[in-house]
Amino acid sequence: MPLCVRARMSIKFFQIVQLAYWRMGSITDDEVIRKRLLIDGDGAGDDRRINVLMKSFNKWCHSNFSPEEGFSQYQRMVTSLAQCEFSMGKTLLVYDMNLKEMENYEAIYADIEKSITSAHEKIAECKKEIQRAKRIRKNRQEYDALARVIKQHPDRHETLKQLEALDKELQQLSHIKENVEDKLELRKKQFHVLLTTIQELQQTLENDEKMESDDTQESPVENGD
Amino acid sequence: MGPVELLHMSVFSQSFSPCGRFLAAGNNYGEIAVFSLSAALSPDASEGSQKPILNFTAHDGPVFTLLSTDTHLLSAGNGEIRAWSWAELIKKVSPINSRNTSTQVLTSLEIPEINAMIINPKDNSLVVGGGDNNIHIMDMETGIFKSVLKGHTDYIHCLCFKEREGEILSGGEDGAVRIWDSRTNRPVHCIEVFRYEVKQIRMRMPQFGKWISCLATDSDWMLCGGGPSLSLWHLRSMSPTSVFPLPGCQREAVFHQDLIMSVGEGPYVSHCLHGGTVKAQIPCTPSSLNTLALNLKNTEHRVMTVGGSSHQIDVFTNFSYRAFSLSF
Repeated sequence: MPLCVRARMSIKFFQIVQLAYWRMGSITDDEVIRKRLLIDGDGAGDDRRINVLMKSFNKWCHSNFSPEEGFSQYQRMVTSLAQCEFSMGKTLLVYDMNLKEMENYEAIYADIEKSITSAHEKIAECKKEIQRAKRIRKNRQEYDALARVIKQHPDRHETLKQLEALDKELQQLSHIKENVEDKLELRKKQFHVLLTTIQELQQTLENDEKMESDDTQESPVENGD
Repeated sequence: MGPVELLHMSVFSQSFSPCGRFLAAGNNYGEIAVFSLSAALSPDASEGSQKPILNFTAHDGPVFTLLSTDTHLLSAGNGEIRAWSWAELIKKVSPINSRNTSTQVLTSLEIPEINAMIINPKDNSLVVGGGDNNIHIMDMETGIFKSVLKGHTDYIHCLCFKEREGEILSGGEDGAVRIWDSRTNRPVHCIEVFRYEVKQIRMRMPQFGKWISCLATDSDWMLCGGGPSLSLWHLRSMSPTSVFPLPGCQREAVFHQDLIMSVGEGPYVSHCLHGGTVKAQIPCTPSSLNTLALNLKNTEHRVMTVGGSSHQIDVFTNFSYRAFSLSF
């Protein structure tokens, strides 16, 4: 017998035992109990059907019925049996259905677990992305700040050009300076030469004058002799 | 702690524990409160978890600066530096301070207040700047003051350390940011921030003065603000690159990923981009903010906390909005 039917039967037995104990305790409610037992003694639903079937089967076997009554009784029993089988079939199908539902739910549960773990992984990935993006933003900001400062200073090419121009000017000026110095040297030398020749001429003229005066002094001395 | 005292309380400093699960905050009454972040951030947090797990009086005067080493919490206020063990604080035991040192004073009349403390991890020394216009460097293991950096003409507000080059930056009331080399203890640069302007936007705001109250560095870049507007500087070229058009003086600023976050006058935290634009201003409960701290040591409790002229400290779990407030 399926589990639910067995369970219900055991519950019914328990109820009957309880009622019996209660009956032992108070005698005044005898009628009520008896009536209850009579009405409810067979159980409810399927239980009742099986009990009734058993009882009617016993009756049918042990008592003398006329053939029509016996046959009708037999028919009644067969229908009752058919009803019992039908209900058993129904409960079996329900049981199968429950099993399948369980499997379905297990599958859905496994799916959800998987999607949870993948969501966790995605979250971790995104967190790493955020960190990277923050670092990149920080670097960009620092770069911008420095670029602003650098922009304030004049352009390198311009200063280089200025420097080149200044260099050229400097070279030209030094060239001119050299030329002037050379000229100065030359003039100095020329003047030096001029002055020395003048001095020599002066010397020779003085020498000549001296020699002349010596000559005239000597000749009167010679004439006096 | 009556309602009047709560009304007049200001939070001046904050520090996270080395494990990142606790926050210590110091106020103007000299008290330090330790809050448990794991309790406050857990899903079943209640009103009680937003109160401190431990509240003790650390100094006679206000606690201007807090600093966490690997094992200790250092607090400084009017002249004395006290060290408290984090292990004891976490166990909710009212601690006795394990070491109590004061800066060397030239005259014994006044002990200057200490406004900023940072740790130089390269040689494990504590750099302290305060009211006597000098920066004192103390060796952490022996507790002896190694050297003094003199140069500022007025008291020092803030200190910062550049890891890569091992340089100390200090900003003071005289409006100058001085850069010192930590190995040779000599000044390297001096920038008078209020003299500069960027794109014809003058940094100087004459109604506020020229004092520098916040400094932050990110290797090549430096943020400084205070009386002059908050500005971003490129340190290699010593030139200012952007000025942030924030109303009010900024008291603390930090670099975080691609943003600059700063707090100051005004009940909001400003998010700015390096280019000089203010991206967002997130409102918070105190009417003006003094301190901002980011808990980056612990990935579970990655929060930003701000405190200011209120007994409440706002906690931001997502930096775009205020999640809840801890209160003294």
